[in-house]
Amino acid sequence: MATETPTLSERYELKGKEEKTDVVSNPVEVKEEETPVTAVSEEAVEKAEEAPPLAAEEKTEDTPSAAEESTEAPTTDESSSEDAPAAAEETNEGTEENSGEEAAEEKKEIKLETAPADYRFPTTNQTRHCFTRYIEYHRCVAAKGEGASECDKFAKYYRSLCPSEWVERWNEQRANGTFPGPLDPCPGQRSLSSDYLTEAVALY
Amino acid sequence: MMQGIMDLHHDIFFFLILILVFVLWILVGALWHFHYKKNPIPQRIVHGTTIEILWTIFPSLILMFIAIPSFALLYAMDEVVVDPAITMKAIGHQWYWTYEYSDYNSSDEESLTFDSYMIPEDDLELGQLRLLEVDNRLVVPANSHLRLLVTSADVLHSWAVPSLGVKCDAVPGRLNQISILVQREGVYYGQCSEICGTNHAFMPIVVEALSLKDYCDWVDIQQF
Repeated sequence: MATETPTLSERYELKGKEEKTDVVSNPVEVKEEETPVTAVSEEAVEKAEEAPPLAAEEKTEDTPSAAEESTEAPTTDESSSEDAPAAAEETNEGTEENSGEEAAEEKKEIKLETAPADYRFPTTNQTRHCFTRYIEYHRCVAAKGEGASECDKFAKYYRSLCPSEWVERWNEQRANGTFPGPLDPCPGQRSLSSDYLTEAVALY
Repeated sequence: MMQGIMDLHHDIFFFLILILVFVLWILVGALWHFHYKKNPIPQRIVHGTTIEILWTIFPSLILMFIAIPSFALLYAMDEVVVDPAITMKAIGHQWYWTYEYSDYNSSDEESLTFDSYMIPEDDLELGQLRLLEVDNRLVVPANSHLRLLVTSADVLHSWAVPSLGVKCDAVPGRLNQISILVQREGVYYGQCSEICGTNHAFMPIVVEALSLKDYCDWVDIQQF
């Protein structure tokens, strides 16, 4: 309601921005609803306008999560020479040292994706969502080994969901061996997330 | 969500005006027709079954018509419809807000985090709002689904922006999720809405909604 009669300061603040067209945001909406599960990287709406093939290529990369990192740069290099570093950066997103430096070079590269809505946590209270993702990551690392590419998504999820203060505290607790959650992977489990789901349901 | 709240308001206002007109009509009619000069001998009716049935059925029908959209909205507000594009965290402190954007970091340390303090009265520039402006605003893209996780580091706070139809308690040790869809670019103001100590009134909230492209540029500038 307040926006309909902008105050003096609002009028001042948005002078420059109102002129810009709204075109950018609309295609994102559409994309988002098309594939809600895969968490589409909509980062490059402006890039999609310049080079449409890249957008399509990104989609194919996103869908198989396991194969994402194994097929590293070679597949992306084919498209065009200028886009190659950008695409390569996305594939190496998880490897910590690389992405930081490369992102600094490529100014326009942020990936608009975050932890998806989880049907295990449909309520306002998301405390357990964050905690579960943190545990899932560390159990994944314990099962698959440090730096396993399958675990990167869990790391992204818990970083998105948990306040950094909590993560720091939990990291300290893990270092001290006083972390209160189940961190060891069970030996005979089929799938990490589905296994934890049964556990989470049992808690309620 | 704001749209839903406004629509409900308009729905209820329809009934409100209907009832108001009817009650005024009856009231003025009664005063007019049963004036002591016109109607010196009062009637002595004490019971009427028909009218009692009518004034029981009609109000309950009206209440039902108000209740149905109310409950629909109430439950729709809790539901997370789509996967959000961005997760942000608002952390209440005594007495400022801290905002975290951690979707873009690749380690536990380097998240985009900043504190948002009120601008004191003496530092205000012409046109700025007293007790409402902050030094670092929460910047969000317009027309994108946003997830805001609200928590607190010390005591209870409440993160509220009326123009976005949002109010959420910040509870230490708990993450409360709210979904926001800002429908137009602009600056939206709010205040801490849970009494949290001496400077409770001096920890305002400012949300700045930009286009998606401007938002990406802003993140780049903040991060590197």
